[in-house]
Amino acid sequence: MGTPQSNHVLSLEGVSKTYDGAQKPALENVSFSVKPGEFFSILGPSGSGKTTILRTVAGFEHPDVGKIVMGGKTVNGVPPFKRDVRTVFQSYALFPHLTVRENVEYPLRMRGEAKAIRSGKALEALELVEMAAFAGRLPHQLSGGQRQRAALARSIVSRPTLLLLDEPLAALDLRLRQQMQHTLVALQKELGIAFMYVTHDQGEALSMSDRVVVLDEGKIAQLSTPREIYFAPSNEFVSRFVGRSNLVPVKFETAEAGVVGKIEGTGVPGLLAPRAGPARMAIRYEAVQISTLNGSPHPGTLRGVVEDVLFMGTNCEVNVRCGALNLIGTVPAVRESTFLVGQPVQVSFDVQNTQVFYD
Amino acid sequence: MTDNLASGFIHPRTVSLRHLWARINLAGVPVLVWLLLVVLLPNLLLVATSFLKTSNGVILLEPSLTNYARIWKSMGFWVLLWRTLSFSFLGCVLATCIAYPLAFYVGRVARRYKTLLTVLVVLPLWISLLMRIFAWRIILGQSGVLNAALVSTGILDAPSGAFLYSPTAVVIVFAYISVPFIFISTMGAFEKIPRDLVEASQDSGASARQTFMHLIWPLTRRNLAIGFSLAFLVTVGDFVTPAMIGGIDGTTLGVVVSTQFGFANNWPYGAAVAVALMLSVGLLLGAIIALTPAKGVMLGEEAEDSSPPSSGHKQYGYRFGTAGVLAAILYLYAPLAIIVLFSFNSANLQIFPLQGLTLHWYQELLKDQSLLEAAQRSVVVAACVVTLSVTLGTVFALIVYYSKLKGSRFYEMAFALPIATPGVVLGIEMVLGTELFGIPSGVMRIVIGQMSFVMPVTLLLLLVRLRRLDPSLMEASLDLGANRWQSFVHVLFPMIRGTIVAGAFLGLTLSADDVMVTLFLSGGAPTLPIWVFNQMRFGFTPSVNAIFSLLLFTCLLVVGLATWRNAVKPTKALA
Repeated sequence: MGTPQSNHVLSLEGVSKTYDGAQKPALENVSFSVKPGEFFSILGPSGSGKTTILRTVAGFEHPDVGKIVMGGKTVNGVPPFKRDVRTVFQSYALFPHLTVRENVEYPLRMRGEAKAIRSGKALEALELVEMAAFAGRLPHQLSGGQRQRAALARSIVSRPTLLLLDEPLAALDLRLRQQMQHTLVALQKELGIAFMYVTHDQGEALSMSDRVVVLDEGKIAQLSTPREIYFAPSNEFVSRFVGRSNLVPVKFETAEAGVVGKIEGTGVPGLLAPRAGPARMAIRYEAVQISTLNGSPHPGTLRGVVEDVLFMGTNCEVNVRCGALNLIGTVPAVRESTFLVGQPVQVSFDVQNTQVFYD
Repeated sequence: MTDNLASGFIHPRTVSLRHLWARINLAGVPVLVWLLLVVLLPNLLLVATSFLKTSNGVILLEPSLTNYARIWKSMGFWVLLWRTLSFSFLGCVLATCIAYPLAFYVGRVARRYKTLLTVLVVLPLWISLLMRIFAWRIILGQSGVLNAALVSTGILDAPSGAFLYSPTAVVIVFAYISVPFIFISTMGAFEKIPRDLVEASQDSGASARQTFMHLIWPLTRRNLAIGFSLAFLVTVGDFVTPAMIGGIDGTTLGVVVSTQFGFANNWPYGAAVAVALMLSVGLLLGAIIALTPAKGVMLGEEAEDSSPPSSGHKQYGYRFGTAGVLAAILYLYAPLAIIVLFSFNSANLQIFPLQGLTLHWYQELLKDQSLLEAAQRSVVVAACVVTLSVTLGTVFALIVYYSKLKGSRFYEMAFALPIATPGVVLGIEMVLGTELFGIPSGVMRIVIGQMSFVMPVTLLLLLVRLRRLDPSLMEASLDLGANRWQSFVHVLFPMIRGTIVAGAFLGLTLSADDVMVTLFLSGGAPTLPIWVFNQMRFGFTPSVNAIFSLLLFTCLLVVGLATWRNAVKPTKALA
């Protein structure tokens, strides 16, 4: 006791995995830990290895190199049914021949619990997800959202220390998805079970998680809190994948005030860097300020022409052509569009919210 | 069966589950043993025997090309080969003309009666082949129904002997046998074409004919070719029809092979003819498959019947289609009805008008000791064959699916080989195989011989089912704390039980019905179909009608039970 590992429900230590017949590794030296009661998300595009991590933790895949540690013990060779981990499958994997209640009782029954006890626990779990009324139904008699809840009840009924969720909301429509996000967060707080949530949807990952790990081609791109990841992406991949960003070429030149960044030949005030040379600046849409141009542009702003405007509901995305460059910025949506296609505008940057990456 | 040929790849997710089962990889051994003993060895024996020669009915163990030289030089062989292939080919073409439009109608137009029609068309497959052949004898014979009708209507002056014992008769019966095979395999293809593809074609300005040529035909031709091939193999290996219906001009190579292994007693020559037949059939079917390429894989779900029925159902074409379907059903069932009718007819001759109602022929059956023995034997054989086949088939299917056997596609093909072997050839292969191990003629031999094609049927059915299961169900069970045995008992078995039972029913009818293979293996211990076959060869009593009617009722009962069982259980949308 008292070792660093015992504070974690799960630790991956240098895990690598290459599938039979695959050229590239699915996972490459991946290490991270999940704390008890934490909502931990794995975010990445398809093929980035997030499902492989989940399946390795569940016990369906085995790492080639590295250790999976749970509760202080290495569990590399332990079969799935002996791990204190439950999975919510993307397809829900409800047993079609069992009723909802029988599905939920299933893990308890396998453990050999008495009928009365397990039926009570099952009902309790179903009540948690507001599915008690559907206990007698067969899975095919449920809607997508109800199946999702039933699958959730089945995985939490035995109170595992860690729950794995494999894109559980992918098959639901937008409204249900938003509802379920709230349900999941509330449930997680109530149960105190650590959740490991796999998704390619950055919105889900950022909104629910305590911490997020971003994966890129089997490697960890960044592991941090949602805010850090959103506002301070540590590399180009993360800035591109998370949020909506422009990636703008910048040339840093030495001047009297230090190193100053220039975009399309225009010096941008406040854009400072430790050294000179070509680089790229990631700037989110909401940090690009667009205003109408009357006469000549203010110093430090770029002059451009509106190419198109997308109405997004709460705001509008305005695509502006500045020389060889296309910049997208958001402006609040108002009833009458302020920007018309072909209209000359000036563009400035909120350099507080930029990240600079050298080549 | 055909589904299996067409079904695609294995979901990548299953790979990991295979890891889990890799420990039972040793279990791959029984699979190999089966393939070696039941598939590879008999085929090798057949080829080897064809290179031997005989002297006074005794096989000499010295390699020679005598048989092939004899075949090559014999005009008779080439005439027979041509005849054999053309009978089957014409029969299948005729059957295609009936089954393909029928499948289109049932698969795409009929909605309310779709299931009923499908069952009706496929049902004859479950009904004794002998009965179906025999029915045509009654219809086409000199004193048969057709002649009686033609004479009584004045079209003919005297009954004609031209109908029975002619090549035409053989082709008609072959077509009759082939319709269900071609129907069942093309029907699947028609069903799977999503409605929006057809609509997209119409939307692009294609006429009905263009839609058929450029959309429907390319998407269904491979399934048609598979059904065609199946029917072709069945008819080519059928020596009963030519022997009973064909007369001298209707003889085929199947008959030649069977007589060489029968009273002609020249096994090596018979084996050589069988090998030559197999090669020719292989070439022909290979060409047919090559001529019907299937490109691409259908994306998305199978066409669900969620879209509203297209308007204009009450059109001229719709009525025409209904009439066609009714005619096809009549073609399939009238012969069977005639047999049942005659089984209650008191007259000794099979001619209309019926004389009077009697149960005499049924009573006759009960008195016949040899018949009762044969029936009893059939029950014993069927029970053994089904029990063993279902057990082995289930175990083998699980092994092939879950253990990491390299090249599981290859195993499947190897398992399916006996099903694709023409009946007469499989029969003699099994004679050679059992002879080698000194297994005597009789029940033992029959059981082994029948298992060679019943076991693969149950296995392939189950494999198709296993592939369709969501692989995450088994993973979910393991994840929820059930070990492998518990997962099998509580999750896997309940989901495949229906398929296992279906396989058992199918195996039951296959076993109870078989003549082609069993004839060579039974020796002096005939099963019921063999006993009937002998009766039909050596004189006829109307009792045969009674037996067939009883078999028909039994079969209807079994199919009815199976259907009812499926209907009672709630449909499982997720499965």
